[in-house]
Amino acid sequence: MKIPSLKIGDLIVRYPVIQGGMGVSVSKASLASAVSRAGGLGVIASVGLGEEMDTSIPYLERSQQALAAEIRKVKEQGLAVGVNVMVALTTFGDMVKTCAKEGVDVLFAGAGLPLRLPEFAGDSNMKLVPIISSGRAADVICRSWFKKYSRFPDAIVVEGPMAGGHLGFKLNDLLDGTASDLDTLVKETLVVAEKYEQQAGRKIPVIAAGGVYSGADLARFLNMGASGVQMGTRFVATEECDVSEEYKQSYIDAKEDDVAVILSPVGLPARVIKTPFVEESFGAKQKFKCFYKCLITCDADKANYCIALALLNSYRGQLDEGFPMCGQNVTRIDKILSVEELIQELTGEAEPLLT
Amino acid sequence: MSLENRIAEIIVSRLNVKPEEVTDIANLKDDLGADSLDMVDLMMDLEDTFNLKISDEEGNTLQTVGSVVAFLKTKGIEA
Repeated sequence: MKIPSLKIGDLIVRYPVIQGGMGVSVSKASLASAVSRAGGLGVIASVGLGEEMDTSIPYLERSQQALAAEIRKVKEQGLAVGVNVMVALTTFGDMVKTCAKEGVDVLFAGAGLPLRLPEFAGDSNMKLVPIISSGRAADVICRSWFKKYSRFPDAIVVEGPMAGGHLGFKLNDLLDGTASDLDTLVKETLVVAEKYEQQAGRKIPVIAAGGVYSGADLARFLNMGASGVQMGTRFVATEECDVSEEYKQSYIDAKEDDVAVILSPVGLPARVIKTPFVEESFGAKQKFKCFYKCLITCDADKANYCIALALLNSYRGQLDEGFPMCGQNVTRIDKILSVEELIQELTGEAEPLLT
Repeated sequence: MSLENRIAEIIVSRLNVKPEEVTDIANLKDDLGADSLDMVDLMMDLEDTFNLKISDEEGNTLQTVGSVVAFLKTKGIEA
């Protein structure tokens, strides 16, 4: 069977593969445009983009300017682009407004419940896609958006416990392996999506994320009824990914023991590569000055490090001053591909397995 | 049915707790186990049942069963 395209409202993505937004600065215009050009949907992560600019410009202003610049780099090539904005950001509403103004095609919002997202998006044609980690969360968002705004999500990304970066599960459930696996979560989210489809008068596509690695995974989720997948880790190991060579090399080198789940100052667990920095920051309190409060959930007086700075350092290649985030499958990465090669590999593998 | 009983019924069904646990001083999160998703659902249940709007700010003040009862009374709902 020919691999289906992904339809989110009137947006058609040739291949049902979304590159997950990855901060800080891991997925910017270079990666996002390569993915959209190869037939997937590229996604820029909004978080921390302003930190490469002149920091004498106020935090919100430079964050918005830097995000707008990245969006334009993709849009001016005539490509579709998504942006991921974390709900936990103090600037969430303003960053969503910037996306709407810049003509972003799809807005992804996770790391919190995006209950007010439709309000910030206004009457733009931007597709609104929450990222959730349980059928219950999908249900609450659908019910709340319809009640308050008479609308439903344009699609839903359901992210399982093997994902990279911040995870929507309790730390203990991740550590002792009791968090529901992605297959279970996809099935329960499909039930919720179907429940609201009649009211919505259209399909609510469900996108599987978190530990999706191969074309066989893609085929499995499509066969299950998902409309596509979102992948992060594999896109880091591409030529076009925006991060330093050191960051990419840490993916190639990663062994089972190098992957850790930590509790991030975002207030959520996060999966990372265990650099010496990670081990040192456990329990220890490093003094740092917070110049701007970027996360609603971060208490700079109690946090043992600044996560924005740690991630910015690793983006730049200073891995001893931070850590890369990664999905559980990072251990399977053994080479760097071009985005085109990766998309072709995934879709080529998936196609004969589709039922 | 009294206002108290109607509220208790909603809480029992949403949080899956025993009616006798739903006392005036019971804290929705700490005593009755509501998580952040339950709280959003519960506020919407109250809105639907009593046909009113609860703002985020108002919702945040509703920590105990008693505070829900008192809040609804200030909105003119008696039963």
